[in-house]
Amino acid sequence: MSHIRESELTAYLVEDQARFYRLAYSYLHNREEALDAVQTAVCKALEKQDGLRDAGTIQTWFTRILVNACMDQLRQRKRVTLVPPEALDAGSYEDPLPEDGSLARRVDALPPEVATIVKLRFYEELSLKEISQIVDCPLSTVKTRLYTGLKKLRIAVEGEV
Amino acid sequence: MKEFKEARENYESIPIPEELDQRVRAGIRRGRKNRRSRYVRRTLGTAAACFVVVFGALNLSPAVAAAAADVPVLGSLFQVLTVRDFTDTDSDRTVEVEQPTVTGSDYADEISARIQEKVDEKITEGEQIIADYKEAYFATGGTEEDWAKHDNKVTVTYDIKSQTDTTVSFVVSSAVSIASAYQEQTYYNLDLAAGRELTLQDLLGADWVNICNAAIRAQMAAAEDPSVYFDESAGGFATVDEATSFYINESGNPVVVFPPYTVAIGALGTVEFEITK
Repeated sequence: MSHIRESELTAYLVEDQARFYRLAYSYLHNREEALDAVQTAVCKALEKQDGLRDAGTIQTWFTRILVNACMDQLRQRKRVTLVPPEALDAGSYEDPLPEDGSLARRVDALPPEVATIVKLRFYEELSLKEISQIVDCPLSTVKTRLYTGLKKLRIAVEGEV
Repeated sequence: MKEFKEARENYESIPIPEELDQRVRAGIRRGRKNRRSRYVRRTLGTAAACFVVVFGALNLSPAVAAAAADVPVLGSLFQVLTVRDFTDTDSDRTVEVEQPTVTGSDYADEISARIQEKVDEKITEGEQIIADYKEAYFATGGTEEDWAKHDNKVTVTYDIKSQTDTTVSFVVSSAVSIASAYQEQTYYNLDLAAGRELTLQDLLGADWVNICNAAIRAQMAAAEDPSVYFDESAGGFATVDEATSFYINESGNPVVVFPPYTVAIGALGTVEFEITK
């Protein structure tokens, strides 16, 4: 356990900026909004640096701030998509697959709390334990959401993910 | 998982915008400032705060400075002149600029170019701060009429700290005054004769760190109320280093400068410690 120094924090933030941007972009799909989210998260990290007790957890600590910034941004949009009743497929409780059907698009189409976990697990390659710290949920919830997500993506789960 | 390989490649090929680095650094500056402004709000107490950006202190050759310290006249070799002096007012803000320039050598010209660049940057930055503030002001329900009552200002001025026939030490200050606070300090210490940056070591010798630290600690302890200075454990003064700002005063001594809120409560403003040679 070592308390982080401001210089170490800023070095980390500058160093890993591309990662942060990609994660933000994967949520927002908008260049300006992703830049805003990264800037907001960086700013918050500096403000709240005293809350980071252990320098070893900087990645999970900051990713959590960043994910929250992205979620706030999404909430702010308050975008409501209206779907005409005839377009609904009454026979299926499964989400329709997006037209182009690529896995990346399907991941994005998942509910945000599920997509977050899938992205962190497979794009950022974080462990389930780290993810549970980032999203502030029990490990069991993370697992449930991950399996739900994979099921919706129609991906067979081979062994332990 | 092989299904994710393509999705992941997709993810990794998301192009990174050029301005990302700038935005990250802006976030760092803003966050650092917000953290410090927790102290500000308590001590400042005024709606309109004026913050000074001090960024230029030019110090010429220390050897010559010591030899000629009692000749308070700037000679013909180098000169500090006002190169730009203007006031520009529109409905949103006033910009007042008094910009110095150094003449006498190629290095002096290079420094002048840097000052020019810095001044331009500070004006742009100041105008941006005011523009952002205006946007936020209206976005939160401010009226055009109330906005007109604001006296937003960007100013750039300079002040010669000391001069001899061959040396000069001066600071250039820029300030943005609106209803919120902004502050940043950078000093340039330059040996114009040798064409390089001047350090505290040049002025105080190899033991400069200990000399400075001892002098600063002694001055803090001798203060009327030593508690105005933050404890080292609370992020207060620890040691001087290569990044510590200073200028040279009339006596030829270096004066170490700390921006507000870094080593002491904000009410003290910029904190200075003269280091007697």
